[in-house]
Amino acid sequence: MNQLFSRMPPLAAAALAALLAFVFAVVFMEQESDVAVISLLALGAVAAWGAGRVGLSRRVSAAAATRPGAVAALGGAVALGLLAVFAEDHFPLLMLSTVMLYATVALGLNVQFGYTGVVNFAGAAFFGIGAYTAAELVGRTALPPILVLPLGGLIAAVVGLVLVVPVVRTRGHYAAVVTIAFSVLFKTFLEVNDTLGGPQGLSVAPLSLFGWSFGEGPEILGISASFYLNYALAALAVLALAFVMVRRLERSWIGLSLDAVRLDETASACYGIGIRRSKILAFVVGNLVIGTAGALYGSMLGYIAPTSFTFSDSLILVAIVLLGGMGSPWGTVFAAAIVVILPEKLQAIQEYRFLLFSVVVMAILLFRPEGLLPRAVRRYMPAPKEVAR
Amino acid sequence: MMQVETALALDTLGLPITPERLLDIQGLAKSFGGVRALNDVSFSLGRGEILGLIGPNGSGKTTSFNVLTGLYRPDGGKILFDGADITGNSPQAVYRAGIARTFQRSRLCLELSIFDNIMVGNHARLNHGLMFNLFQRKAFRLEVESALAEATELAASFSPNLAAAMFEPVGALPMIERRRIEICRALISRPKLLLLDEPSAGMTHDETHQLMDDILAVRERQGGLSIIIIEHEMGVIERVSDHCVVLNYGEKIAEGSYQDIASDRLVQEAYLGSEVGR
Amino acid sequence: MALLGQYLVNGIMLGTIYALVAVGFTLFFGVLDVIKFSHGDVLMVGAFAGFTAAMAVAAVGISNPVLQLAASVVFALSVTAALGAAIAKWLILPLKHAPRMNILLVTLMLGTALREAVRLFYPDGSNPKAFPALLPTSALTLGDFTLRADSAILVAAGISVIVGLHLLINRTRLGLAIRAVAQDEETARTMGINYALVVLVTFALGSGIAAVAGVMNGLYYNEVNFGMGLLLGLIGFSAAIIGGLGNLYGAILGGFLFAMLQMLGAVAMPFASAYKDVFAFAVVIALMAWKPTGLIPERASERV
Ligand SMILES: Nc1ncnc2c1ncn2[C@@H]1O[C@H](COP(=O)(O)OP(=O)(O)O)[C@@H](O)[C@H]1O
Ligand SMILES: [Mg+2]
Repeated sequence: MNQLFSRMPPLAAAALAALLAFVFAVVFMEQESDVAVISLLALGAVAAWGAGRVGLSRRVSAAAATRPGAVAALGGAVALGLLAVFAEDHFPLLMLSTVMLYATVALGLNVQFGYTGVVNFAGAAFFGIGAYTAAELVGRTALPPILVLPLGGLIAAVVGLVLVVPVVRTRGHYAAVVTIAFSVLFKTFLEVNDTLGGPQGLSVAPLSLFGWSFGEGPEILGISASFYLNYALAALAVLALAFVMVRRLERSWIGLSLDAVRLDETASACYGIGIRRSKILAFVVGNLVIGTAGALYGSMLGYIAPTSFTFSDSLILVAIVLLGGMGSPWGTVFAAAIVVILPEKLQAIQEYRFLLFSVVVMAILLFRPEGLLPRAVRRYMPAPKEVAR
Repeated sequence: MMQVETALALDTLGLPITPERLLDIQGLAKSFGGVRALNDVSFSLGRGEILGLIGPNGSGKTTSFNVLTGLYRPDGGKILFDGADITGNSPQAVYRAGIARTFQRSRLCLELSIFDNIMVGNHARLNHGLMFNLFQRKAFRLEVESALAEATELAASFSPNLAAAMFEPVGALPMIERRRIEICRALISRPKLLLLDEPSAGMTHDETHQLMDDILAVRERQGGLSIIIIEHEMGVIERVSDHCVVLNYGEKIAEGSYQDIASDRLVQEAYLGSEVGR
Repeated sequence: MALLGQYLVNGIMLGTIYALVAVGFTLFFGVLDVIKFSHGDVLMVGAFAGFTAAMAVAAVGISNPVLQLAASVVFALSVTAALGAAIAKWLILPLKHAPRMNILLVTLMLGTALREAVRLFYPDGSNPKAFPALLPTSALTLGDFTLRADSAILVAAGISVIVGLHLLINRTRLGLAIRAVAQDEETARTMGINYALVVLVTFALGSGIAAVAGVMNGLYYNEVNFGMGLLLGLIGFSAAIIGGLGNLYGAILGGFLFAMLQMLGAVAMPFASAYKDVFAFAVVIALMAWKPTGLIPERASERV
């Protein structure tokens, strides 16, 4: 029993797992009743446990180590498949896009504190800066999204520079208070600032690319898709780019330096690693990623208000990183899916989501600090085939 | 008070530093609050020499490494290394100048692999450019392959087990292996000066012996590495050191060959009643 | 001029509340070297407990404000003291050897959990509650300037708590034990001090003081709400940091300093009084950039 899958080629195992995940996701997203959702969750948990028992999980991990590119492509295929299945439905597309954007944000946070140990409890604030930038830019200029998105990231990174000095000079809880203070400050600022819409917020005009408005659903192969498909595809592109770049960063000498700074600043300094340089790099890159996702999120929602970018939201973003496993990109994506979709599908817990996730994270920290999909040891290049045995 | 020092640095007697001298420490002082951890300590080290730094617990040995490597700023004195004044330089600059160290209390990154830990020490020789690391993955791969081959060879000269497990996390290994990795991390960048702070702490007599032999073998291969070693096991000092410096309460109380200092009355007094120095 | 006097009274009032919160952070940091970010929300729980007790006492027909107040304070104190000890026992001590970041995160999440629990499960918890006015409202008038009795009583009460804490720490065996543990855990253990017990008591003590601050805050603003702890906790923490963590008197100083900062913001920018919190936190951030470990630096440099 234990050996059922142990002969299977790793990539075939990964493809099988991807197919199962796809089918599960489609069925899951279509459920309406709480009972069905909870039963499916239980089934999913049992299946995940079973996959470990029959050796499928180990084959998939082996595939991730030996053929990381192919496994990432499978992940992309699953996402595209889901978008195709739900191409005509507003709500599932909105949910999937939100998952992808939250995952992107959490990847940015991962660079900051998963790798480098630079805490950031203002994730939602930088997300919001991206969104407000989009609101201001899309309404007033005709910039194509290809520029609006990176500009959102850029502005977030530039505003983040205000915090660079205190963040880089402080450590641990002192650094935490800097970002928490910024988080509270940012929301208060939005609420009292009239040009940014005050507590009511702002509406955001739809993005457009060379005359093709994201606000209208495209006609593809005779079906008229939801306009959210535009945003979902854009979100997938942003996530894919962030994912690939974050993975490359992790599997590089720079990623190693970031880890070393997190784990031991003193030893790092004695081996020539610039502590400040590393922290600044991580903080700026992270905010760039977060702001870019925020710009897309703002234009997708069409309406933004200070209440979407509070300290509690920042904590939810941190929860995603911890739940998935610090520094684990696949874990981050998985956790984003759980944290975003669960409250939406289970209306019963929607109201309780902040409470639920804070308790879950406390349990994770106490009993499984490595997270759901723990980060694997760094391999700078695909592992040799022997590792798969 | 402090002259600008370049290649023509002068020592305390006003003589030019000869090229044979790699390190010159002059009148080094460091206090913590009321504690004078180092008080007017001077010594020097020739190229290719091994210096034993000994003294009872709390006598300032580790502090002298910390000041030397730029972790602490000295209150006074001068450090000349390889013809340049490195007093008060940052730890990063000291490392780039060619000084690598180990720590008394092991400081490895336990979550990271053996290879990762050794590569931390190789920082000066790796390309950290953003473009290179993110976009030139083929060239990056070549650099990884050659670094891996080199690190594996170095690890193998200490323990075949290490060389066979380069991608295993360090946290799972026993203390002895961790000590060896720390030394590999210090040696990989081919420093000019290696600082060893109680490398054999917690090892048996035979293990200590083996470790020192391995270090000396690598030194032989790298050619002319100088070493300062802090060690409580006097047998080790006797065997490996060309010359010894003895500290007590932050002051240098004796200097000379092992035989000289072993018969020195002050040294014997300093060690009397202290549990170290068998 | 009278306006300035009013600002001064307000500043002292707020400063007392902030100092009481900051003192808790300092106590916890002293004994365990940890930051308990849920402190503000523990305070909020205390304020709600006090509110509940006052209401309950009124409901059984006792309308004597002194009795109401006593019940309110005693109940708030006991609830938060128990809560603080429980947090130390089940969340913080088990994570003592985990990375520091994990304690920070676990207490942040606990803060959210407490906040949400009150919002969701306290009857009509998502709306602010009107805290009964239990103090005399007579006022002393000097020209344009009025000093209300309730403000004076609150300030006096707060200051007596601080003085009491000072005496406790410096004059009692318990205080000696707390100081010993704060100095050095190992030495304290060898001296025969029950380490875990001292930690629990310290957390109970700090949390109890927060409850006093919570009730004071309720009396002062005539309101309690589930979100009040986040801001107060952050302010208290900033104050503790400004004064140098682990330094009791620094924390008190920091509390008054922060209140002055807010008043200054309000006086200097009357046209933009909405920005007074933005201003205060901007100053905190700037301060951290300038002095990364507070105005009074942390104890010793790291041993290598
Ligand atoms: N970071 C520090 N802060 C305060 N005192 C220190 C620090 N580092 C070392 N000391 C003190 O300096 C003295 C010398 O310590 P050290 O150099 O570690 O001794 P050794 O390595 O010879 O045993 C001791 O009294 C020690 O307590
Ligand atoms: Mg030492």
